[in-house]
Amino acid sequence: MNHPYSNYYEFSSLFHGSLLSIMGTRFDILFVIENKEIGEALWDNIQTELIRLDKLFNRFDTESEVSQINSSAFLSPYIVSSEMWDILLSCKKYHQQTYGLFDITLQNLNRVLLNIKDKSIIFVDKDLHIDFGGYAKGYAIDKIKNILIENNVQNSLVNFGNSSILALGKHPYGDCWSIGIENPYQKGEMLGEYKLKDEALSTSGNMPSNSKHLVNPFTGKFNEEKKMVSIITKDSTDAEVLSTSLMIAQIEKREEILHHFNTSKIFVYNL
Amino acid sequence: MSPSNKNDQLDLGLRKFIKDLGYIAGGSVLLASTPWLQSCTPEKLEEIKGQKARIAFIGTGSRGVYHIHNLLNIPHAEIVALCDNYPPNLKTASDLCPKAKTYTDYKKMLESKDIDGVIISTPLNWHAPMVLDSLAAGKHTFCEKAMALTMDECKSIYDSYQKTNKVLYFGMQRLFDEKYIKALQMIHSGLIGDIVGMRCHWFRNNDWRRPVPSPELERKINWRLYKESSAGLMTELATHQLEVSNWAMKRIPDSVIGMGDIVFWKDGREVNDSISLTYHYKNNVKTTYETLISNKFNGMGEQVLGNKGTMELAKGQYFFEDAEPAPAILQLINQMESKAFSTVPIAGPSWVPEIATQHKPHYVIDGPISINPGISTTGVDKDGSDLLLSAFCQASITGEKAKNIVEECYCSTVLCLMGNQAIEQQKKIDFPEKYKIPYLNF
Ligand SMILES: NC(=O)c1ccc[n+]([C@@H]2O[C@H](COP(=O)([O-])OP(=O)(O)OC[C@H]3O[C@@H](n4cnc5c(N)ncnc54)[C@H](O)[C@@H]3O)[C@@H](O)[C@H]2O)c1
Repeated sequence: MNHPYSNYYEFSSLFHGSLLSIMGTRFDILFVIENKEIGEALWDNIQTELIRLDKLFNRFDTESEVSQINSSAFLSPYIVSSEMWDILLSCKKYHQQTYGLFDITLQNLNRVLLNIKDKSIIFVDKDLHIDFGGYAKGYAIDKIKNILIENNVQNSLVNFGNSSILALGKHPYGDCWSIGIENPYQKGEMLGEYKLKDEALSTSGNMPSNSKHLVNPFTGKFNEEKKMVSIITKDSTDAEVLSTSLMIAQIEKREEILHHFNTSKIFVYNL
Repeated sequence: MSPSNKNDQLDLGLRKFIKDLGYIAGGSVLLASTPWLQSCTPEKLEEIKGQKARIAFIGTGSRGVYHIHNLLNIPHAEIVALCDNYPPNLKTASDLCPKAKTYTDYKKMLESKDIDGVIISTPLNWHAPMVLDSLAAGKHTFCEKAMALTMDECKSIYDSYQKTNKVLYFGMQRLFDEKYIKALQMIHSGLIGDIVGMRCHWFRNNDWRRPVPSPELERKINWRLYKESSAGLMTELATHQLEVSNWAMKRIPDSVIGMGDIVFWKDGREVNDSISLTYHYKNNVKTTYETLISNKFNGMGEQVLGNKGTMELAKGQYFFEDAEPAPAILQLINQMESKAFSTVPIAGPSWVPEIATQHKPHYVIDGPISINPGISTTGVDKDGSDLLLSAFCQASITGEKAKNIVEECYCSTVLCLMGNQAIEQQKKIDFPEKYKIPYLNF
């Protein structure tokens, strides 16, 4: 159950939709739309897309494509869907652009081979598996953004688990969407404010309750620094990949990585 | 605190309250949703700075004295006359405002040219004659709820109000209570989805009697208990709550069924001490009304039930049915609904979802909320009564009528009286054709 919730606010022509349990977190969207029915139809589309993507990326769901890959690709080629193929290629590219820091195997993506002829994947090491945790939300937001644009939505705020935010257009009574960022170690302490307009924001970091979720693929160890990295770019997937990679990158490496991206802004908070 | 400081405070409170609601020049949609506040905006109060409305009181019993205390804190009013036909009560009032002239015959008092506005806080049977006489004497008039003892009287008040150019207010303080106004705006903006029902209740555990110094004063002092002067719990308590029900529904019920009896206080009283009614709206949504004065466990409350959530009006709290919108998202929505723009603190490392299985309260107002436990028969602080009175005094200077107050009081009083008819006749009562007014929207 995704615990869907939606409501339409007539006065400000605002539609709010949320799924309380999707891709391991919570999804909220606000968009301005002239009437409730159109809003509801659009929300249906968005939910369907999110549920589809959850199915694609969820490695705990034995029927998902990623589970199929994980259980079948060791030493025998597994033919993937064309969407998965494109995703795998883009993950390879990100892997190169981040000098191996962004790694969907969390160990060594070079041990995964992609065969362009039949669009198949092969694991050459036994214990390999794929985890899209640092990628899926960004990818999903880019998909949702396309749906919004196709439906002529101009102003919308998408919040995927607080860590991945899309600000399309602007707040109806402002000239942007103004998003504050809180210190996860100090409730109520605002660290900064981002003025976003047609931009994506991704934040990666540790929390007191959760400091074992970012793995450095080179050392195999969790990154447990009291640190937080926020990235603002046009593209949500880029933002997602960068915030994770820069969280574990050495300071000297940051510039080199950023060189490959059209990044507008990067913020590093040492907490 | 010196009296002058207190004055400033009340004044500021009123200004800030109306400002907070979004009453910025230009007339917003919010202003349109609470039209009775249009005549008492801070700008209009500024225009009459330094002027004082000359106010007279008829009835200086418990509610009258409560109003006197409030009025003494209102900078734009002074008390010039007091009338009560029960000497001890007149003396209490006179001690509070020694400069005011005292009367025992209200008609004599109404002859005075030095009165701008009259505040009536007398037993229900006196409302109609006093309101009609006061308007006829050319005075701006404020009368306590309910409107009157009978439907005919309500209709004559309504009819004379159509003809007069004087201001007329009734003591429906929820219309001026910040937590109600905000909550109703939130409901109308869709916060709890479609309204599917409403439950109003008022429970107390006391005999509703006042001590009587000598037996011949019983009917005068305990006027609430006898049908010649009172319509019982309906007009005393339900008026407020049925008004709120209509405000929430944006319509008026077309019929009522129910029962009422004397269950516990069999002490010679004529009015019921237990009432259960169901009001039916044309869209089939129903409001249940329950009151009992021999068990106080449930206290006082008005719950608006929506398909997405529940608003507890009297507590200024709301609850969602299933999924809880995230607090920051809710903050953003509330912001947009009041046309405001500011930063929302939503960004951070990934959020681990916490799916609520229990109903968590959310609050209509940030900071302390004053809640009326429903026990006092006189009134409580900060329930809108002071603002209502201040608005009336302001209107006694400007002569500007307040929209909807008379109509709201008319509707809720007629509905209360219909409730009593349903009980007495033991059948469903439809809203009588004869008493329909153009304001009504069924
Ligand atoms: N808005 C509210 O929340 C609220 C709260 C309490 C009472 N009320 C209303 O206020 C009104 C008064 O209630 P109360 O509790 O103060 O009653 P009360 O009995 O304490 O006071 C009524 C006063 O009117 C006087 N009076 C009666 N007939 C008179 C006459 N012909 N001429 C002059 N004076 C006369 C009485 O002597 C008495 O002093 C009622 O209508 C009641 O419903 C409203």
